[in-house]
Amino acid sequence: MYDILMILFHVLVFPGLLFVCVIGLLLAGIDRKVLARMQKRVGPPIVQPWYDFLKLMGKETIVPSNANRAVFLGAPVVGLSSLIVMMLFIPIFGYSAFSGSADLIVILYLLTIPAVCLIVGGSSSGSPYAGIGISREMVTMMAYEFPLIIALLSVAKVVGGETLVFSMRSIANWQLSNGCLIAHWALIPAALAFLLIIPAEVGTQPFDVAEAETEICEGPLVEYSGAPLGVFKLNTAIKMFIMTGLFTTLFLGGIDTGMVWLNAIIYVAISIVLTVLTMTIPHAICARLKIEKLFKFYWTIVAGLALLSLILVWFGL
Amino acid sequence: MFDYHHFPVIAVMILFLGAFLVEIFGAKNKAVRNTIAIVVAGISTVCIYALIKPVFFDGEVISYWMGNWAPVSGYAIGIGYEVDALNLFFALLTVTTFFLSGIYSIRYMEKDEHLGHYYTLFLMLSGGVLGLVLTGDVFNMFVMIEIMTFAAVALTAFRNRSFGALEGAFKYLALGSIGSSMTLAGIAVLYMSCHTLNMAQLSSILGSQPLNPTTVFAFALMFAGLAVKAFIVPFHTPAADAYMVAPTSVSMMFSGMVNKAGVYGMIRLCYTIFHAMDQSSLQILLVAFGCVTMFVGVTMALAQHDFKRLLAFHSISQIGYVITAIGLSTAVGLSAGLFHAMNHTLFKGLLFLTAGAVLKATGTTNLDKLGGLSKKMPLTTICFLVGAFSISGLPPFNGFASKWMVYQAAYAKAVTTGNFFYAVVTIVAVVVSVMTLASFIKVTQACFFGQCPDSLKDTKEVPFSMRLPMWILSVACLASGVFYNFVYEKVLYPAMVATLNTVKYIDSMMGAGYSAAAGVQNHLVDAPRLSVWDPISWLLLFVICLVAICLVVVLGDKTRGRLSDAEGEPQDGKYATFFGGEHALHSHVGGSDLFWGFKKDFKGYFNVVQGAHDGNVNTYASWVVIATAVIAIFMVIFVK
Repeated sequence: MYDILMILFHVLVFPGLLFVCVIGLLLAGIDRKVLARMQKRVGPPIVQPWYDFLKLMGKETIVPSNANRAVFLGAPVVGLSSLIVMMLFIPIFGYSAFSGSADLIVILYLLTIPAVCLIVGGSSSGSPYAGIGISREMVTMMAYEFPLIIALLSVAKVVGGETLVFSMRSIANWQLSNGCLIAHWALIPAALAFLLIIPAEVGTQPFDVAEAETEICEGPLVEYSGAPLGVFKLNTAIKMFIMTGLFTTLFLGGIDTGMVWLNAIIYVAISIVLTVLTMTIPHAICARLKIEKLFKFYWTIVAGLALLSLILVWFGL
Repeated sequence: MFDYHHFPVIAVMILFLGAFLVEIFGAKNKAVRNTIAIVVAGISTVCIYALIKPVFFDGEVISYWMGNWAPVSGYAIGIGYEVDALNLFFALLTVTTFFLSGIYSIRYMEKDEHLGHYYTLFLMLSGGVLGLVLTGDVFNMFVMIEIMTFAAVALTAFRNRSFGALEGAFKYLALGSIGSSMTLAGIAVLYMSCHTLNMAQLSSILGSQPLNPTTVFAFALMFAGLAVKAFIVPFHTPAADAYMVAPTSVSMMFSGMVNKAGVYGMIRLCYTIFHAMDQSSLQILLVAFGCVTMFVGVTMALAQHDFKRLLAFHSISQIGYVITAIGLSTAVGLSAGLFHAMNHTLFKGLLFLTAGAVLKATGTTNLDKLGGLSKKMPLTTICFLVGAFSISGLPPFNGFASKWMVYQAAYAKAVTTGNFFYAVVTIVAVVVSVMTLASFIKVTQACFFGQCPDSLKDTKEVPFSMRLPMWILSVACLASGVFYNFVYEKVLYPAMVATLNTVKYIDSMMGAGYSAAAGVQNHLVDAPRLSVWDPISWLLLFVICLVAICLVVVLGDKTRGRLSDAEGEPQDGKYATFFGGEHALHSHVGGSDLFWGFKKDFKGYFNVVQGAHDGNVNTYASWVVIATAVIAIFMVIFVK
């Protein structure tokens, strides 16, 4: 009974649903506020994403006549649950909710599910704008998966040495005893590549080609309204936290104050800094890329950085 | 009551018997024909499934000498059948495929003529493949390859009035014959140097001494011959046409069992007969072929406009994963290869059946003419999505479990050997997986979602007997992904150990102590169990989350009356698709319109690869010959 209650607590409160929602929307709020200050605007209050979310939950949900109802409504929640499951298996420094830990490949594939949900949901709405949007979302996905896997393999190689280590927990524990991985200089290009992947994965400008409001009316989201739209917006906010958190776990681990709540606060603080660094600043200074430029950027520059790291660590540097 | 030692032979013979019975009694009468075909396929299936307990659970190896021609003074004379866990594994895939395909055929083929011939060829093809995977004799294997190839060619041409059927059959015939001839030549050379045709005895002779150039040459010829049957790049060219033009129930058999038979032959050849998989040169050869196969397959698939042709290229690509994994020659790699072979049979069978349902319901598989079928065929859509997510490797479906094992095995090989090549293999495998997803997103958008063209307004869902095999395969895709530990323990581990345990294979056939007398040892004795993570706990968790949230969102909204859809409402602008104020014309975003940025960046590559597939049999035949020559030269130099 206690076990079941603990599982429910982990799923629903910490580090599950409630925690990721609060922190995700907080990050989204900070992103908007800082962006506004950079553009010399006052900007919305930090809690504005909360207001938006609550408002959308109360609005009418319209299912268009061309849409497939089950897929249209199911897609956002499947994406949300995969994000929550992912958070349960990403160690927060030494702490993770479940003893059985997932590995890098599992995380890589769980990361694709929210994107696939966006694609399938958008596609099921039957709108031509969504058709264009899902095409771009898929190309974006192909673009960042290639450098992402190389960066993850570099990390695995440093931690494992001559043995195969894919487990997130082993990577976290290795950093607890050997210091954080970014101090390993050969991994710095991989860390940079990962930082560049974060905005594409989350879908913020300049990599928001899939949702480009000014061209294709938010692409896959064009037919969404009410609660499903709210859940999709929430997914984007949670992705901000998950991606920055994943970076912290992979490259900046090794901090253990001995108190879970203090660790969590440090973790969130790092996430806030990374959000501003990787999402807000590029948003403020760059215009949206064209899709073929985006693809080329990830397969040449970002993949080159990650590959450089892999080659360096491969030869024991 | 029944002695299960006879089951393998019964399972094969009854199919051939059934083929003749259908031709004699069933040419005119539909009921007789269908009954014979289903009963015969059913008996064969039951016979093979009955072997699960003795072979998988009790670890027995069934050997059977035809006409009781047992070996005389250590020389095998008669034809022997030998069933260990590896044979049985592939036999299970085979019987499952043809049984489900048989059920599907009843309604799918009802409008065609000359169905007597269809079921004759259908049973010949099934019998050929089943015989191939169960036999313990290389010449018998060649005979079965021939039966399989010619039945397959005839079935490819079955709808010979439709466009391209004869052309596809001709390509398959030409290249299949080259493959068969090379296999035969290899067998002849092998017989010349070893004076036996029995696999167990060949294995004992070849395992007791280093390979000499003659036997290596035979190896190369048989390898290339079987590669044609498994459709590995550059031997893959007949597959695309054949899968596209054959009736879909037959396409499912091609991808579910015909190319698996080729894979089985390659595993048997490399691991058991030639004991060569502990040589790094052969490992690199297989892995390189596997990698090229998966990459070329998936990029060609991205460029296709026909549902079935796209699936054909994905079959090629997924076989690339299997070949890569078995080429790694580690315990995890081999299990991964077998698992992916099994999963490929399940999800590709499912996808071909959904393609067949679309063809039956709409009369076309051209992705540019389809659209919006999810409203008309909701059940087929769900089955298709299950298959598409499985092949793209999304958790918790089975494709994820086997691909996870492939990556695991490839990168483990990379770090333990320090060979950068295997790290590149891991990266390619992941990228190919994403491209697979992309190409199925394309089918989803072009065929099932989006707007329905006026010509397809009257489309109806397919009948129950066609939906049943789809449901079975969908459930199997999910179950083997969620309970992957069970599958691994009960099926993959025994099959993997059987592949590595050559001594037991020889001794069961030739008598105990035979391999020890010849001095054969198992080269790859290490077979640790894989125990890295337990997917069930967290996949159940995933399901719990899903159920909870679905309940909250969908039901919660409904009771509050805030969800509205077009059902029963007057057709006003509220439910129409948004067009930015323009008049709502038919503006479906089709398959060819997708992935523009990607195609533009890879324009050079696509031009080269698509230009190379020029549809000319002469070109394709020359690829086969050149590739065989390259394999032969490589092997004679590097394989010892």
